Amino acid sequence: MSDGSRFSAGRTILLSVWGLFCVLPIIFFATIALRPRNEIIAPQPIYFPTISIETWAKIWAEWPIMHYFMNSVISVTGSVIICLVLGIPAAYSLARYQYRGRDDIGFYILSTKMMAPAAVAIPIFFLFRAMGLLDTVWALMLVYAAMNLSIVVWIIRSYMIDIPHEIEDAARTDGASDLRILWSIIIPMGLPGIITAAVIAAIFAMNEYLFTLIIASKNAYPLSVALANFSGGSDGIIYNAIALVAFLAFFPALLLVILIQNHLSRGLTMGAVKG
Amino acid sequence: MTDAVLPTSTLRMARRRSPFRRKAFPYLLVAPAVVYLLAITLYPGIFALWRSFYQGRFKLEFIGFQNYVDLFRDETFWHSLTNTLIIGGITLAVEFVIAMTLAALVYRDPLVRGWRILFLLPMLFMPSAVAYLWKLLFNDGRVISDLLMRIGLVDSNIDFMGSTWLARGVLVVTDVWQWVPFLFIIFVAALQGQDKEIEEAARLDGARWRQIFFSISLPLMRPVIAIALVLRGIDILTMFASPHIITQGSPGGNTETVSYFIYRTGFKSFEFGYASAASVVVLVLTIILAQSFVRRFFRSGRD
Repeated sequence: MSDGSRFSAGRTILLSVWGLFCVLPIIFFATIALRPRNEIIAPQPIYFPTISIETWAKIWAEWPIMHYFMNSVISVTGSVIICLVLGIPAAYSLARYQYRGRDDIGFYILSTKMMAPAAVAIPIFFLFRAMGLLDTVWALMLVYAAMNLSIVVWIIRSYMIDIPHEIEDAARTDGASDLRILWSIIIPMGLPGIITAAVIAAIFAMNEYLFTLIIASKNAYPLSVALANFSGGSDGIIYNAIALVAFLAFFPALLLVILIQNHLSRGLTMGAVKG
Repeated sequence: MTDAVLPTSTLRMARRRSPFRRKAFPYLLVAPAVVYLLAITLYPGIFALWRSFYQGRFKLEFIGFQNYVDLFRDETFWHSLTNTLIIGGITLAVEFVIAMTLAALVYRDPLVRGWRILFLLPMLFMPSAVAYLWKLLFNDGRVISDLLMRIGLVDSNIDFMGSTWLARGVLVVTDVWQWVPFLFIIFVAALQGQDKEIEEAARLDGARWRQIFFSISLPLMRPVIAIALVLRGIDILTMFASPHIITQGSPGGNTETVSYFIYRTGFKSFEFGYASAASVVVLVLTIILAQSFVRRFFRSGRD
């Protein structure tokens, strides 16, 4: 028993150490967002700065933060909608039908997740330039959707497989068409999977950096790339604006993840691990 | 009642749908997604291949395999490949050990949900924001140096960007801080999903915690570990935001990853043909890896 409690104390200490390692940089980052510019880069780091939100007004006036935020919202939401519209029927097909080539199609969809963004960046850049879509939220939307479609299909497929066949069979004997069954049985019953897929796709889209960097050049900046441009000549990198924008993206992500926290492991493994 | 309904309705369905439509239906459902993905994978692949035989920015000049010849002679390209493998390998190993340790410590804890949310937080920031955070902590704000000086480990500021291994270490720490949660969450779920009774039985037989973990829990987790490491490995091998923001390849190109190499030659030096050749090489490597690893592991994870 005493061995157990010693073990337990050591365990709590280890976990707390990692917890502090997670949280202290975040707290420091939060104080960066709240401190005046001259206290960010000083000869000695300042751990207890003058906290003020006055700098926010300045940041807000100098940079179109709301515009960046809306670019993120529009491109991310649009991409998630594209993913669901294309992904739900595809997942249904992979989960519920037997046909030739099904496994190869499923694997092809999965394998697109492996593509290095850098390896397709140049063709994508020329493609959008030819379409006149460079520096628009539409291009971001299309790219984010492509990037996340594989995850969305596989997550939703995994949840659809778990839906018992009996209900469908009953509906089918009552004369419901396949599309009708998808719409009024599979989609409602697979909703946890659809929501999980949507949340994970949204967070990944919000985080995307490389494609966004080459597509957006000013007008279409979403949050992830906008913060890379908060630098002003003699001011150097404007860290408090960066921190502010970082938290602006963090809180929505936190809310979304809390919403799906019990499905997170399943979502992150594209349905392979049922947690 | 169902017995009475069944024959007429199946008859009706058979009449309504031609055999061709029945066969085509699942393909039609999956087709839009596949076409979309082909447009964004096959097309770029072909474009990169075509572009890799040309040089020039506006007026294209056909040069055959010259870009590939140059690429294979280019030390910076090989260097970026080995950097990616070195930095990626260390990062993945460190993340795996930490995440597995934390998961093993926490999965039977009554407060597991609380720990999980706490450990999850770093993952919810944008990678570009995390890169700036650690750039500030290590380099611009000298916070890490200051803390090390306060506890007496060093006596002057450390130039983290001045040494190869320190700069690589910065990239490793940045990635570890943000992405340990990814593996941790998966491992905790897998451990929680294991049968509690096997553990209890082993404990009653006098097995110690260590034995139970290494000879029962860990072997049972092998398929999950494989999938988690493959997914994390893909992300690590395509690491871009932190090299781009924190090190930009310094010192002397020792932190330049393949992704950053392609970006730099393409979008900084505008040698699109050359960067396309590198893209093709990376795509081929990706296909080989996908065929040999991902296919197998996702098979094993299937129902």
